[in-house]
Amino acid sequence: MDSASVTAFFQTLVQGLLTGGLYALIGTGLSLIFGVMKVINFAHGDFLAIGMFITLALFKAFNIDPYLSLLVVAPAGFALGFLIQRFVLARLGDRLGEGSMLATLGLGLIVSNTLLLTFGAQPQSINVPYATTTFQFAGVQISIPLLVAGLGTLVAIVGLNLLLYRTELGRAIRATAQNPLGAELQGVKTTQIQAIVFGLGVAFAAIAGVLLMPLLYTFPTVGENYTTKAFIVTVLGGLGNLPGAVAGGLVLGVIESLGAFYISNNYRDAYGLIAFLLVLLLRPEGLFGKTVKRV
Amino acid sequence: MRKVTFLTLALTPLLALPASAQSSTGTIKIGAITSVTGRFAEFGKMQLAGFKVGVAEVNRKGGINGRKIELLIEDNASDVNKGLAAAERLVNAGVPLVINEYSSSLVKAQAQYLARQKVPNLIVTSSGDDITKPGSDYIFRLNQPATEYARVIFNIFRDNKFKSVAIIAGTGAFEKSVADAAQDFAKLYNITIVEDQRYDKGLTDFRPVLNRIKAKNPDGILMVSYAEDSVALMRQAREVGVKPRLFAGGAAGFALPDFIKDSGSAGESVITATAWVPQLRYAGVQKLNVDLKTALGGQEPSYHAAQAYAGVIVAAEAIRKAGSTDREKVKAALNALNMTTAFGPVQFKDYDGFRNQNPLAMVAQQVQGGAFVPIYPKSVVPRPIKFER
Repeated sequence: MDSASVTAFFQTLVQGLLTGGLYALIGTGLSLIFGVMKVINFAHGDFLAIGMFITLALFKAFNIDPYLSLLVVAPAGFALGFLIQRFVLARLGDRLGEGSMLATLGLGLIVSNTLLLTFGAQPQSINVPYATTTFQFAGVQISIPLLVAGLGTLVAIVGLNLLLYRTELGRAIRATAQNPLGAELQGVKTTQIQAIVFGLGVAFAAIAGVLLMPLLYTFPTVGENYTTKAFIVTVLGGLGNLPGAVAGGLVLGVIESLGAFYISNNYRDAYGLIAFLLVLLLRPEGLFGKTVKRV
Repeated sequence: MRKVTFLTLALTPLLALPASAQSSTGTIKIGAITSVTGRFAEFGKMQLAGFKVGVAEVNRKGGINGRKIELLIEDNASDVNKGLAAAERLVNAGVPLVINEYSSSLVKAQAQYLARQKVPNLIVTSSGDDITKPGSDYIFRLNQPATEYARVIFNIFRDNKFKSVAIIAGTGAFEKSVADAAQDFAKLYNITIVEDQRYDKGLTDFRPVLNRIKAKNPDGILMVSYAEDSVALMRQAREVGVKPRLFAGGAAGFALPDFIKDSGSAGESVITATAWVPQLRYAGVQKLNVDLKTALGGQEPSYHAAQAYAGVIVAAEAIRKAGSTDREKVKAALNALNMTTAFGPVQFKDYDGFRNQNPLAMVAQQVQGGAFVPIYPKSVVPRPIKFER
C-alpha cells in the first residue's frame, strides 16, 4: 500500500468511527429501554426525527444554532418519553412483547404523520457556516460537525454510565432491570423508574437527531431508516447490553464505510445487514452478549 | 389548487362519459399531473407557477377559438400509486390530453397507463430516456431526454480536455438514464470513467464514495441526484476535500435555486446541465421569466416552471389545430405540430430510437458568486468557466 491509500484507509476508518458513534448513541437509547423493560421501541427513529425537526424549527424561526437547541431538545425528549411510558405503555399492563411492540409502532406512525402535517414532506436542511468545515490531522480530513457528533455521543454515554453506576437512581434502574418485582419489594418505585428510563432513551434518540442536523437533511419519515440501524446496532452488541450497543454502533459504522470504500457503494446497506444476519446465525446473544463472560 | 382538485372530484361521478362528451361550449378542460405535495413538492411548486402563467397567457389571447382553457390539476403526492390514481381520475374526467410532469419513476408509470387508455400525454419535465424510447403513439415529450443532460456536461469536459471522470448517481429512472448516457459519451469522447457509483434513495453518507473518488483524482465528477442529495453530496465533497477540476450536476437537484441557498459556499462553482435559462434567445423569454417570477412571489424560476408553461401553450395549440377535444384528433395535431415557445422550438420527431421526442439541446450553467450564470453553449453568451483547480 502506498501512502495515499494508507491515508484513504484511515480517512474512511475515522469517518466510519464517527458515523458509528452516532449509531451508538441511537442504539444505546434503544438498548437501555430494552434492558430495563424488555420493550423494543419501534418508534425510536421517529423520536430521533422529532429531535431533528425541533432543531430545524428553532433554526428557521429564531435562527438558533443547532447545538444550542440541545438545551431544548434533550429535556423535551425526556419529558415526551416519560409521559409516553407513564400514560401509554405502562397501561398495557403485563402484556409484554406484542402489546408494547404494536404500541410503539403506532406511536411512531403518529409521530411521523404529525411531522408530515406540520412540516410537509419535502426534505429540509439547515445551512450553518461550519457545515463543511474540516481540519487535518495526520493527513486525515475530519469534519467538525461529525467530530462534535462523535464527542457528543461520548459525553452522553459517559454521562449515562455515571448515572447508572454512581447514583442512587442508577442503582434503582439497574435493580429494576434485573428483577422488577424484587426492586418493587425493596421500595423502588418501578413505574417511576421505567418512565425515567423511557425518557432517557427518547432523549438519547432526540440528541442524536440534533447532532445529525448540521450534517444532513430531514423529512418526516427519516426515522424508519434509523430504527433499522438502531436495531442492527443493538443486535450486533447484544440486546440490552449498553457497552455492546456502543461497540455495535462503531462496528456498524466502520463496516458500512469500509465496505462502501473497498467493495462498492451500491450495496452499502447490505454490509450492515449481512453482519446482522451473521451475528444472528452464529452468535444470537450478540458480539458482546452475556455468554462472553461465561466462556 | 385545492379548488381545482375539488372540481375534479365533482366530475368523477360522470365516469361513464366518453372523451368527446366535453361540452362544445364553455371552458376546455386540460388534464395535468404534478407533485403538489410530497418529496418533489419543490419542483411541483415551480410547475404550478408555469401552469398558471401558461393558462393566463392562452386565455388573455382569446383562449382556443374563443373558449377559455382550464387545467384540472391532479396531485400525485410524489408517489407512484397515487400518480396512477391521479391519471385514472383525469381519464375519467374526459380530458382531451394530459400534461405529465416531473419524476421519471412516476411519469413512466403514468404515461404508460395513459397510453393504454389512448389518452395523449404531453411530458414536459420528466427526462428518463425510456419514456420516449421506445415510447408510444400517445406519449409526446417537449423537454430534452436524459441523454442530453449527459451530452452537455461531457461536451464541456471534452472541450476542456478532461481525461478522467467519476460518476455518482442515484438508482432512480432519471439518474440511471443520465449516468448510463454519460458512460456512452465517455466512450465516444475517449474519457476514462474511473468510478461509477450508484446509491439507493435514503443514503445520506457519501463520504466513503467520495474518498474513493478522491484517491483516483479525476478531472471531473458528474453527480446525478435529486434536491436533498445534491446538497448533502456537495457538503461532504468539500468536507472530504475531493478536488476535481469541475463538479458537474446532472440537473434535477443541482439546478434548483434552493441548491444554492442550502449548500451555501459548498455549492460554489458547481456546473449543472439545465433545460432552460432566461438568457436564451427565443422570443418571449424575458417576459416569461418576469411572469414566472411574479407567479412565484418573487422567487427565481427554475427550468421546470418554463417547461410547465410550454406544456400549456403546446397543449392549447394542439387542441386548436385539432379543432376538437377528441383525443385521436389531438394526437394527430401533436404529431404535425411545429412551433416556437419561450421555452424553445417544439416539434415531435422520431430519431435515434426515440419516438415523438422534441429534439432540443440543453444549456449549462455554473454557480458563480452565489448565482447561476450560463456557461454553455455559445448561443447563451456564456461567461468563462471557473475551475476548481
